[in-house]
Amino acid sequence: MQFLRILLVGTLLLSLLACQQTGERPVMKIGYMNCNSEEETMKRFQPLTKYLSDQLNVDFQAIPVDTQDFPERFAAGEFEFTHTNSLVYVIMREEQQIELLATEMRGNYGSHTAGTIVSKKGSGIKTLEDIKGKRMIFGPQLAPSGYLAQYDLMLRSGIDPELDIAYYAIPTGSFKHEKVAYAVYFDQFDVAALPALDLELMTRDGKITAEDFNILGQSPIFPYCTFGARKDVDPELLKKFRQVLVDLSEAETVDYQGESLKVLASAWIDGFEALSDSDYDLLREMAKRANMPPYQEF
Amino acid sequence: MRQALRDPHTWLVMLAGGLLGVCGVWLAVLGNPQNSGICVSCFLENSAGALGLHDNPRMQYLRPELIGFVLGSSLAALGFREFSSKGGSAPLPRLLSGVFLIVGCSVFIGCPIKLFLRLAAGDWTALPGLFGLVVGVWLGLKGLAVGVHLGNAKKEPGGSGYWTPLLFVLLLGFLLLRPGFVLFSERGSAAEAAPVMIALGIGLLLGALAQRTRFCITGGLRDLFVMGLRAQLFWGFLIFIVIALAGSLLSGSFTPGFYGQPGAHLDMLWSFLGMLLVGSISVLIGGCPFRQLVKAGEGDADAGLVVIGMLLGAGLVQSWQLAGTAAGVPLYGKVAVLAGLAFFLLNLLLFRERTVA
Amino acid sequence: MLKDRIDILLGVLLLICAAAAVALLTGQGSQASQSNMAVDKALERDIAYQAKVSFLERLYAPVSELQQAEKLETALLKLDELSRHYPDEAHGELLRGEILLQMQAVPKAIEHLARAVRMSGDYVDQNSPLSRRSMINQLVDVQLPKLKAAATQQTTGRLQATLKDLYYLQGRLAGGCE
Repeated sequence: MQFLRILLVGTLLLSLLACQQTGERPVMKIGYMNCNSEEETMKRFQPLTKYLSDQLNVDFQAIPVDTQDFPERFAAGEFEFTHTNSLVYVIMREEQQIELLATEMRGNYGSHTAGTIVSKKGSGIKTLEDIKGKRMIFGPQLAPSGYLAQYDLMLRSGIDPELDIAYYAIPTGSFKHEKVAYAVYFDQFDVAALPALDLELMTRDGKITAEDFNILGQSPIFPYCTFGARKDVDPELLKKFRQVLVDLSEAETVDYQGESLKVLASAWIDGFEALSDSDYDLLREMAKRANMPPYQEF
Repeated sequence: MRQALRDPHTWLVMLAGGLLGVCGVWLAVLGNPQNSGICVSCFLENSAGALGLHDNPRMQYLRPELIGFVLGSSLAALGFREFSSKGGSAPLPRLLSGVFLIVGCSVFIGCPIKLFLRLAAGDWTALPGLFGLVVGVWLGLKGLAVGVHLGNAKKEPGGSGYWTPLLFVLLLGFLLLRPGFVLFSERGSAAEAAPVMIALGIGLLLGALAQRTRFCITGGLRDLFVMGLRAQLFWGFLIFIVIALAGSLLSGSFTPGFYGQPGAHLDMLWSFLGMLLVGSISVLIGGCPFRQLVKAGEGDADAGLVVIGMLLGAGLVQSWQLAGTAAGVPLYGKVAVLAGLAFFLLNLLLFRERTVA
Repeated sequence: MLKDRIDILLGVLLLICAAAAVALLTGQGSQASQSNMAVDKALERDIAYQAKVSFLERLYAPVSELQQAEKLETALLKLDELSRHYPDEAHGELLRGEILLQMQAVPKAIEHLARAVRMSGDYVDQNSPLSRRSMINQLVDVQLPKLKAAATQQTTGRLQATLKDLYYLQGRLAGGCE
């Protein structure tokens, strides 16, 4: 009887301790915009999420979110932190007043990126003027370097994408940017709107060579993917969050599922930079000219 | 202090210090690398490269000043009948001391003379080196105070003291005749050089004066610790700094700051430790790198071994890439400094004369 | 010094050795072999350096041509392609820095130029055929005051890193012995 009583009290105490353990750290969610697929997004960002949890003493949970659903799900309060492309950041800044935390660095332009318009070498399409009346393929509509930048570049060059080209299309499914590149490479389309980063990565991977495409034009550089946060999150936490990201070095590792992983390399990121919101004004101007969200007028 | 200033020798020491300051700045104006008008360790690294002891194509030149220091000292010693062959005191530790002197200097980027030339040109990154040198000299003195002694050099009946000057006569021949196996850089800092004859002349003059006055940077600091303002060397040392500063200001090379300094880095801790190593070893072996050259010139075979060690070290720091650069101190350079400090401490243990109660 | 017959014998032998050495050094056959050796050593080094320079010029010629034709995006792609075979190569870093500078991506340009100079001092050397001293000098003169001013407004790790790279370039331009 005595033994049973001790066992009961012991179990109770242990479970109380366990409750206390899980209740120690607040739980918060980070919505990550899917680039290609949910699976890829989770694989990329879970080590970083674990690292942030360890550093900030908060249980962060990674939520994969489709680009077009992002503003709506954020507005519904599904997550406190966001990792999106810079256009979605601008939209949510306008609509939800989210806080800018840090901008991802990747590729030649670091924390910035650009959109390019390309044609296949030997196609005879050598200048932007030549694309009139041709078939064009864009990236997804909310992609700043796969759609908006090129759309704006065309408008600024006196080409109306809605009137001056034969027709344009947007691919569906995953790996949209690569599909765009291959669509031109295999002559399905004449001209493509490609992020400069994808061209760079495909060349580095040996999938294409510099001689395969004519670069007809490139947009000015503007901020790349961005971490943001709900405006009512504790400012102290936001400050620390930003600092942890900015201080992240290539050598930093995290223990994740029994392995020691390099945080930045796992997320395919070179680092983070703390930009100011005004650095995104260039993108805002593009969105206004192209009549795109959040400035779209009907 | 007054007593010291009344002694004509003090004025000779001050003349030597003043000329060292003038020439240190002037040689840079004439073509030597910036802030390196005189730098024994840089000159040794260049000379080691010229002799094929390392293959850094930017650091190969047989510096005439270096040859001048030794031969100037020899000529003065012979002229004043002070040349005497002596040696036999802890030869191998002295040889290795020479190696580690250059390790310390190369990590800091410069010998003690260059340290003050850098400071006089406004390079504040040399400040930790100054503190390191002072602490190193103090540590070396503490070592001597507790009975550490490498042993007395003995007068040697053979002419062992002639070998270092003869080696430098050979180097002078190489410099003037330029045989094919001696390498001369065509780019990089070793390609920056004052005219040969002027550099050689200045080297001979400074070598001779240093022989007459026993001028030494670490010696000046050491004597300040031991004798206070009565120390003659300290006055020479002070004049050297004042003249170098005035020279920098007049020549327009004074650019105060921590950043953008020529041949400098911001690894403050390693600048400190590098010069600490140089200061401590210098006191133990009786003089800074410059003084070792001068002593070797007047027939001191022990100093000659230090010079050979320095030449060997100069080759090693470049071949093994231990030397500090503007980008910082490489990992193995840091390890080499720690090895040098361990070497210094081990010598304190091994050469301490203990009194048994 | 020469006190007995052994001394005299040793002295004579010494003189013979010295005379033989002088004869060897001044004799016609030896002069030829000595000058051959001299030429070989100097020539070998010059050839190796010239070979390196011309190899780099040939390797990166397509990049330089694209750069001159102001096809900067394609030039970057060409560099990406070449970096598959020669990753972290100094001249590639230098060209990437130059191109990014032309594209106004200044912080990244500074990062790559500093990396190139760390790997090879030739780029800040007046005497080198690879020298880019005037371009780097101009970059430091223009950007340093701007970045210093920006650093007083805000301090970010990235800004500090760029400033550090610029100070490094400034230090290398200032000269010194290394």
